[in-house]
Amino acid sequence: MLLSSNTITKATVRKLLAEKNWKLALSSVPSPSLSALAHNYDFSTSAASSSPSASTNSNPSEVDKFSSFAGHWWDSRANPLVGMNPIRIRFMREVLLAQQRQQQQQHPRHDGHNDTPASPSSLPLLHGKRVLDIGCGGGLLTESMARLGASSVVGVDASSHVVEVAKRHSFHSGSGLRSCDDDGDGENDTTVEDGIRYIGGMTVEELANHHWHYSQRRRRRRRRLSENPSSETNNRDNHELFDVVTALEIIEHVPDPTSLLRSAVSLLRPDGILFVSTINRTWKSYGMAIVAAEYISGKVPVGTHDWNRFWSPDEVERMVCDVEHGGDSGSGGATGHEEKYVMKQVGLSGMVIQPPFVNLKWSLDPLDTDVNWIGAYQKR
Amino acid sequence: QHKNATTPNARAYAISPTSLSYLGPSVLGKLIETNCCGVYDSMQVWEHDGPAQLHFVGEDLEGAINEGRLVNLQQLLNDSTSNKSTGRKNRPWLGAVIEDAPFVSAVWDELRKDDRIDLLDKIQVKSIKAPNHSDMGKIEPPPPVDITCVRKGVNDEGEEFTISSNLLVAADGANSFIRRTVGTFPMITRSYGRMAVTCTVELDTSKSRMGMARTAFQRFLPYGPIALLPVWNSVDSSSDREKESGPIYANVVWSTLPSEAKYLLSLSSEEFIAALNEYLCQGPNVNPSLLPDSNQPGGPPAIPLLSTIVREIDSLLRTANTALTMGTWTEAPTRNFFRMPPRSKKVVGPIMGFDLTMSHVATNGGYTSPRVALVGDAAHTMHPMAGQGLNLGMGDIHALASLIKEAVDSGMDVGGTNLFLDRYNEERILKGWGILGGVQFLHEAFECTGSIPGSITEHENATSVGSVGGLKGLIGYSRSLGMNAVNGIAPVRKALAEVAAGASPRLFP
Repeated sequence: MLLSSNTITKATVRKLLAEKNWKLALSSVPSPSLSALAHNYDFSTSAASSSPSASTNSNPSEVDKFSSFAGHWWDSRANPLVGMNPIRIRFMREVLLAQQRQQQQQHPRHDGHNDTPASPSSLPLLHGKRVLDIGCGGGLLTESMARLGASSVVGVDASSHVVEVAKRHSFHSGSGLRSCDDDGDGENDTTVEDGIRYIGGMTVEELANHHWHYSQRRRRRRRRLSENPSSETNNRDNHELFDVVTALEIIEHVPDPTSLLRSAVSLLRPDGILFVSTINRTWKSYGMAIVAAEYISGKVPVGTHDWNRFWSPDEVERMVCDVEHGGDSGSGGATGHEEKYVMKQVGLSGMVIQPPFVNLKWSLDPLDTDVNWIGAYQKR
Repeated sequence: QHKNATTPNARAYAISPTSLSYLGPSVLGKLIETNCCGVYDSMQVWEHDGPAQLHFVGEDLEGAINEGRLVNLQQLLNDSTSNKSTGRKNRPWLGAVIEDAPFVSAVWDELRKDDRIDLLDKIQVKSIKAPNHSDMGKIEPPPPVDITCVRKGVNDEGEEFTISSNLLVAADGANSFIRRTVGTFPMITRSYGRMAVTCTVELDTSKSRMGMARTAFQRFLPYGPIALLPVWNSVDSSSDREKESGPIYANVVWSTLPSEAKYLLSLSSEEFIAALNEYLCQGPNVNPSLLPDSNQPGGPPAIPLLSTIVREIDSLLRTANTALTMGTWTEAPTRNFFRMPPRSKKVVGPIMGFDLTMSHVATNGGYTSPRVALVGDAAHTMHPMAGQGLNLGMGDIHALASLIKEAVDSGMDVGGTNLFLDRYNEERILKGWGILGGVQFLHEAFECTGSIPGSITEHENATSVGSVGGLKGLIGYSRSLGMNAVNGIAPVRKALAEVAAGASPRLFP
């Protein structure tokens, strides 16, 4: 019996496993491993048309707003996000390099590669890192991170229409950026996945849920097969987690940002960094981001932003750092006890537009977080 | 190539300190050590029919250097090759004159060291296929630009191959093949109606050599300036009083009408030197009278009362101008009185002539097209009188390189979105028009003379100039007054020197 996509729940999976119906369970339930989600699981029919419910943290009217803009996503003259990309990456670079330097000081390497803290490594910025882009949109940040050497890049967005744009753009952007919608990968633990995995029509809560299911299944299977749980399997559970999770310009567009951030944190590997950027809720941001950007200059379509959904750095820090009590769904180890992690803010900066305001020229200003700002939070 | 040359090549460029800093310390150090540069730290500009002069000195740039708006070249070089002459140590440079061949070969040597760069030599570009404007900003990124080339083989036609690139930079000069082939760059071109005659001369060193070795001279004649620029003096040995050996060379650039330029080119070496000394080595004159010759004192006045008044005002103005000029001569501490430029002894090497035209991309275009960017002379050319042509190009290159670096650091395709190309245009086009306009202003201001210009071709009549009077004379007065004002008011003079040196402007004066 083929289960339709709409009816996959925890209950169904448990029922199948209880019936010891391995084959059916494995074959009919689409593999929840993240590497195959893009290939097998198509949410596009479900999410876009349903009304906002407790299960999907996305507002269809918001999703439609971005879907209609999708054709212009990569036009730097129409979409200000293109111009913001360089400084967002610059901030990520600063934070990641600072973290690398700190790590090297704490754990000096004795293998002959003596990177002094001052000299940058010649490796690309995201070398060997798995990254997840929440609200990837047309793939602006996702492609940039892929070009910066990430070993695995996943982009997820609630709008499948916009993700189609991202797939098309990445497909034509040259080798190494091909989005893998042609080869369906199986569950291969040690695969270095090249290409960008775009998952459209799915919210990150659903993604985190599937990962939880997946890791729970594996844990049960190991227990059943009487494997000795060890730290190595703990690492293998962590292999599908991400070193860098980015949620840039997304939390002001979802009904429940806390749940989004909680899911984002659950998908972070220990010592991984979560980047969040949004707009602060101040009078200045009302003047700049709503009045000036939408009505006066028309750079942003009217109605893109809701000032009441803007968040200040303090609020977001509270949302992110209070998460460990919410139950990390992914970091529970096979050892049987939950390992506790805390989130700590490791970077914060404002993004300001330099005058003249004609061709939006962005720069990082650590002191001015009144309008746009970006922060980094590490899981320790 | 420089090692084989015994005399300087006349094909040289004037480079500002900012452009020199873009070369990097290793290339710059090499050029200085091999004595390919002609460094100058003072510049004297004067007119032929007025008393005014402009005297720029290296100290004018000190303010900008201290404020960090201009690079400190001496510091950049960790100067061991600095000016060894006494009393002028570490004077900031106004600029340098670098010959073409050693400059290019020094840069190529530096490029060969970097194995991330593929240098393709002896290539002929056959065709270029660049995306259209309509390809940009769409969901699919614009296709890369394809350059089909042929390697020139033994049989003169090697096999074709195609290079695909995210960005094509057109740096191939005023008659750019890339710009013409891509075809989306409408240009505005205007001839100045002038030709420049250039050569290298050996200076007459029988008189004292002190203080002249690092000065650039430019005298404005009716149809254009004569410039005398130092060369081969970066390793400075001419200040050693004992060491009188070695000839001192200078580069001459003489801009004038095409007819006169052709006449100069037809002269023999000795005749050319005689003409050069005659027209360069003259000091400031009194402004010519506003009144036509017939109203000079001694002649019968045409309209008695009016012309007396005008005559009095006229002589008042002339005296005022002269006095102002002499007033600036006492300005401490540089004592900027007029110094007679050195006379030349002989010509070394060939005398070359080339047309002078102004060009710039048209107002409805830009320096960029999808996946293609113009830099340097391919985008703009101008009169050499202010020495800004190459400097503007170096500024273009610096801006474009910074944008490419930012794109790569951000993991973005530099030619694939309009983002970086639009920023390049925004940074450079206004500047290009500004410098072009400034040079045009100088060109026209110095054209307006109050005297009938003495024609060089009629050599025997050269000294008999008359007074034209009227409006042209007034403009001549104002020019003298203006020059005196600029020279005397130090902040204005320093600001001009900073612009020529490529310093960033002060935001709040």
